[in-house]
Amino acid sequence: MEGGNDKSAERFAFLGREFLTWLWFEAERTGGGIDTLSFGRVGVEFGQRLSLETGGNVKEGSTVQADAPSQAEEARTALRTGKKVARARLLLDAGERQYQVNLDAESLTIAGAKLPTMLGPKDASLLDERLRLVDELEAILDEMYVGFVKLRMDEANWGPVREAMRAWVAGGGA
Amino acid sequence: MALASGTVSYLRFYVAAPPEGFERVYADQLGASRFNEIDPRSEVEKSSGWVQFDDAFAADFDPGTLITPSGYLLFRLRIDTLKIPAGTMKAYVDQEAQKLCKTQNREKLARKELDQLKLEVKKQLRIRSLPKLQLIEIAWNIPTGELRLFSASKTVAGGFVELFEKTFQTQLQAVGLRSVLWLRGMSEGEVDSLSLLEPERFHLIPR
Repeated sequence: MEGGNDKSAERFAFLGREFLTWLWFEAERTGGGIDTLSFGRVGVEFGQRLSLETGGNVKEGSTVQADAPSQAEEARTALRTGKKVARARLLLDAGERQYQVNLDAESLTIAGAKLPTMLGPKDASLLDERLRLVDELEAILDEMYVGFVKLRMDEANWGPVREAMRAWVAGGGA
Repeated sequence: MALASGTVSYLRFYVAAPPEGFERVYADQLGASRFNEIDPRSEVEKSSGWVQFDDAFAADFDPGTLITPSGYLLFRLRIDTLKIPAGTMKAYVDQEAQKLCKTQNREKLARKELDQLKLEVKKQLRIRSLPKLQLIEIAWNIPTGELRLFSASKTVAGGFVELFEKTFQTQLQAVGLRSVLWLRGMSEGEVDSLSLLEPERFHLIPR
């Protein structure tokens, strides 16, 4: 595992940025949903804050804060100058449950996650429920990431997506 | 930050499967690295160790109830810091130095005297102070080996990994972009073939 191995983590950091950028593209292409095997169609929206960065040793970044940052012209411009999504606030709609989470592309670190409230604060099984919800949130994100990586490794299927993403970045629709 | 309430932030790790009859062993190991209070009369500025998940002042771990029905080992890392802030120290040392100069009818204290005074003031302030207390939740899913540290601080994570590995005599591996694929069922061959990938360029304007 790459874990504490910083060089290995750096080597694959681009995959995380490509994943979040693809998620943005895919959410626009499908009208806001990503198909998963275990959770069906998961609604994906980008909320409040979106950070884009170039890769490499000297990173250049742009951060857009808005109600719908992925619609902001600044975010589009950042894409056109070679930046990819480095951190995003994601709003995920998995059927009856809605999650909000800050996801870091380079580490897949989950921060500031808002879990759906189902039980009262004094319910004895609240902790169990929150653990299950964290499990679910993590599983949703992991499943979308694994799906992206499988697509990315399959050149026959990835090729057309790459071209579509290039057209999208250049200013065409998703 | 916390699992028990509010928003959740955490770092992910993976731990190899535990040995047979691990409950007794783990309870003993947690107890052996339990949290110990800082003695304010000592020079110790920081102390860290394990405490129970629902009681920051209890560090006895019962093998019979160590694992929850859903397979989790829940506990907390307690970190206490008893450090007098530099500004506070200076204000009290200045005050004491002025008092001493006045009673002895002197202009100022010698360097050695000042150093001695600092030690005395620090001792007094430490006895009057309460440590800053940090509690970090840990949820270790024993059947899957996945462990979550409910903190986003790299400093906390560094201290946690060191203490965890010393406590349980096992390696803790951070989960990242590559290892998560393996944890989610991709074969080692597939994961290894990632090394063939190079970053894509989606933009058309050369930088």
